Amino acid sequence: MNGIDHNSITHFPKRPKLSRINNGSFGCCPKSIISAQKRWQLDYLSQPDEFYFNKLKTGILQSRLVIKDLVNADHVDEISIVDNATTAAAIVLQSVSWGFSQGRFEKGDACVMLHYAYGAVKKSVEAYVTRVGGFVIEVQLPFPVSSVDEVVSEFRKALARGKNSGKRVRLAVIDHVTSMPSVVIPVKELVKICREEGVDQVFVDAAHGIGCIDVDMKEIGADFYTSNLHKWFFCPPSVAFLYCRKANECNDLHHPVVSHEYGNGLAIESAWIGTRDYSAQLVVPQVLEFVNRFEGGIEGIKKRNHEDVVAMGEMLANAWGTHLGSPPEMCASMIMVGLPACLGISCESDTQKLRTRLRDKFSVEVPIYYRPPRDAEVDTITGYARISHQVYNKPDDYYKFRDAINELVNEGFTCALFS
Amino acid sequence: MDQEESRNGDFAHYNDHHVSKKPKLTRFISEPEIRDEFSHHRSGIARINNGSFGSCPKSVLAAQQNWQLKFLQQPDDFYFNTLRKGILHSRTLIKDLVNADDVDEISLVDNATTAAAIVLQQIGRGFGEGKFNGNDTVVMLHCAFQAVKKSIQAYVTRAGGSVIEVQLPFPLISEEEIIREFKKGLEKGKENGKKVRLAIIDHITSMPCVVIPVSKLVKICREEGVEQVFVDAAHAIGSVKIDVKEIGADFYVSNLHKWFFCPPSVAFLYCRKSNVSTDMHHPVVSHEFGNGLPIESAWIGTRDYSAQLLVPSVMEFVSRFEGGIDGIMTRNHEQVLKMGRMLAESWGTNIGSPPELCAGMIMVGLPSRLRVWSEEDALRLREHLRVHFGVEVPIYYQPPKDDSKGHARDKDGVITGYARISHQVYNALEDYEKFMNAINILVDKKKNCKMLMSE
Repeated sequence: MNGIDHNSITHFPKRPKLSRINNGSFGCCPKSIISAQKRWQLDYLSQPDEFYFNKLKTGILQSRLVIKDLVNADHVDEISIVDNATTAAAIVLQSVSWGFSQGRFEKGDACVMLHYAYGAVKKSVEAYVTRVGGFVIEVQLPFPVSSVDEVVSEFRKALARGKNSGKRVRLAVIDHVTSMPSVVIPVKELVKICREEGVDQVFVDAAHGIGCIDVDMKEIGADFYTSNLHKWFFCPPSVAFLYCRKANECNDLHHPVVSHEYGNGLAIESAWIGTRDYSAQLVVPQVLEFVNRFEGGIEGIKKRNHEDVVAMGEMLANAWGTHLGSPPEMCASMIMVGLPACLGISCESDTQKLRTRLRDKFSVEVPIYYRPPRDAEVDTITGYARISHQVYNKPDDYYKFRDAINELVNEGFTCALFS
Repeated sequence: MDQEESRNGDFAHYNDHHVSKKPKLTRFISEPEIRDEFSHHRSGIARINNGSFGSCPKSVLAAQQNWQLKFLQQPDDFYFNTLRKGILHSRTLIKDLVNADDVDEISLVDNATTAAAIVLQQIGRGFGEGKFNGNDTVVMLHCAFQAVKKSIQAYVTRAGGSVIEVQLPFPLISEEEIIREFKKGLEKGKENGKKVRLAIIDHITSMPCVVIPVSKLVKICREEGVEQVFVDAAHAIGSVKIDVKEIGADFYVSNLHKWFFCPPSVAFLYCRKSNVSTDMHHPVVSHEFGNGLPIESAWIGTRDYSAQLLVPSVMEFVSRFEGGIDGIMTRNHEQVLKMGRMLAESWGTNIGSPPELCAGMIMVGLPSRLRVWSEEDALRLREHLRVHFGVEVPIYYQPPKDDSKGHARDKDGVITGYARISHQVYNALEDYEKFMNAINILVDKKKNCKMLMSE
């Protein structure tokens, strides 16, 4: 039985008439949580010294305990709270950097990551690994993709490339759900392969994690795992957790913003990085209460989001005569839907402009992905929309998108018109 | 404004009811209006510690909540069309305030702690990549903020550099003592052919709190061949006048949430254009990596950037005061001096530094009978004052030196404890009288710090 009115649109701040089918980018936060956050903020502002000495640390510990249970970690020491997955990546990669600088790793030792790794993570690898002499191996993934076997086989190939050139793989960075194009990666299997092939450490970047797919630390078996809580777990911007498999491994990781807590373990370091607003990190217990008002709690929300986004994706693909970018079992609460080839999406900037046009003219917010055609491909679909489904979405949101694209097609619109 | 809203921390409509909508103010902000702007401060507390966590008026909090709501309503639109412009606007106003040449020299970060990590990571790379020799040095003040000391450990010592600490005497009689000790520290840093790669100088030290003659020290650094100078001015903006060109440092950071009425948290980091400024990076790397520190810092992943968007609102707030931010600074200084003297006179103690070496904060000696004999004693006394007297004030323990020269004394012994009192626009005489009476009561009841533990 639902404790939440299905007209839950009103429970989320929203611009009227906007079809917001992009929960994946910035997430969402219900009004009741925003209110809870404001209460924490006021408590701090009214007497910050007392808050710092008596309330902050226990509050963050409470949040970490909730997360530990949610993700099936062994011990709360394994859970640190940081701003976002981008920060978590910097933390993990900085420790790899020290490995090179301090001679534990040799120049040319490798870091493996997916070609579709998030832009920030790629830059972080450049800043912290390439700069100090590490070598980067990118796993090319096919898209559209039709089964997990394609992903597994490419991953094995990439590891083999490393081995054949005599490189030791110090870190594998694996997305749990890639961003663009969005596809669910079989992380458990890939972690297993990493162990078999002697990869030192595995870091799973699950920016789209809690509330989107199944997040079980012991099942997945990675050394490090991060997920944002503001994307699919209703927290305000921004908060994420970074899990380190053994508490003692966390001692090798440090928050890059060093405070007087340096050396007391990553979780303690991250809980104080100078004066700032920690309120987003403190509302996690209130968020758990919120999701438990839904039938099935967060599991029920995930299941329904998945079913609905697949249904809407299929509806759109049928309406436009296109296809989905991956099979339903390789998507969670987001799915890639091919856009009609006649729209002529031929580069990255076309996707930005089309996205802007959809926002400004049709009040539809949805990110577009450019998929370059491969050799010998003709009349291929080169543009995919990444649609999301969250509890505030309704079928109308997707009908509006369907109709907008149909209108553009009917009036003969192509992206060539942008230039 | 709706009482319920205010109690829940919802300030979004504050400006609709309170701030004058007339384009030109015909009078300055009144005392009742100031009290209203800070009415969210807990009542019954003498809040004389603006230095630690700063303060933020309701009209700025209201503006912040409007920015936050805008993001939540349509985050994609906010990200593409609003955020960068807003941050650039804040940066431009700061540039003018501190007399920087170019807005490219101004980055916004969370706080001085973050800025220190940025500067020290760059120095650390110098050691790690072999640009600097092992044992080249970093010079800092002994009373540098603990986070900065740890940051030096994390990025410099770990990479093979060594550290020289300059001992500053306290209490202080004049700035000559500071200059003398600093010169000695630099000499040590250059011993045996070592090069001083970085000098870190506080503009206003934290504990004990003293205004440092930074322009003079930076000049000495240049004369002595120090390669880079970083001024940690966490307390400076809104406290003392800042002219980054006149000061002449390579890097200068100040928090805006301490004395410049921003909510937590935001700071500016000034980086003078040079061949190293292009190698400054935010440690949280985003897709903006390589586009310059101001651009990198303006996007470090999804988070709440609203505090960085509020400089225009703060400028509006301070313009309601006579003399603007300069007037506020002058009056804070005058008042804190006056209050410091009142306390010292009442307790028979001293002020820790001469008036020209303090800004909006001052160190006041505590009666020696309280026996502040350790850092734990200081913390205990602070907690006792908070819980039993409703006074919020940080206490500093000054360890006695062997020769007891340069120590202040009262009629009962050596003064080893100091209170750092602050004055900001929301403070009133009663706040300091409350503190004055609290200490006098403790002394009359013959209490000392050890006894407070058992209460």
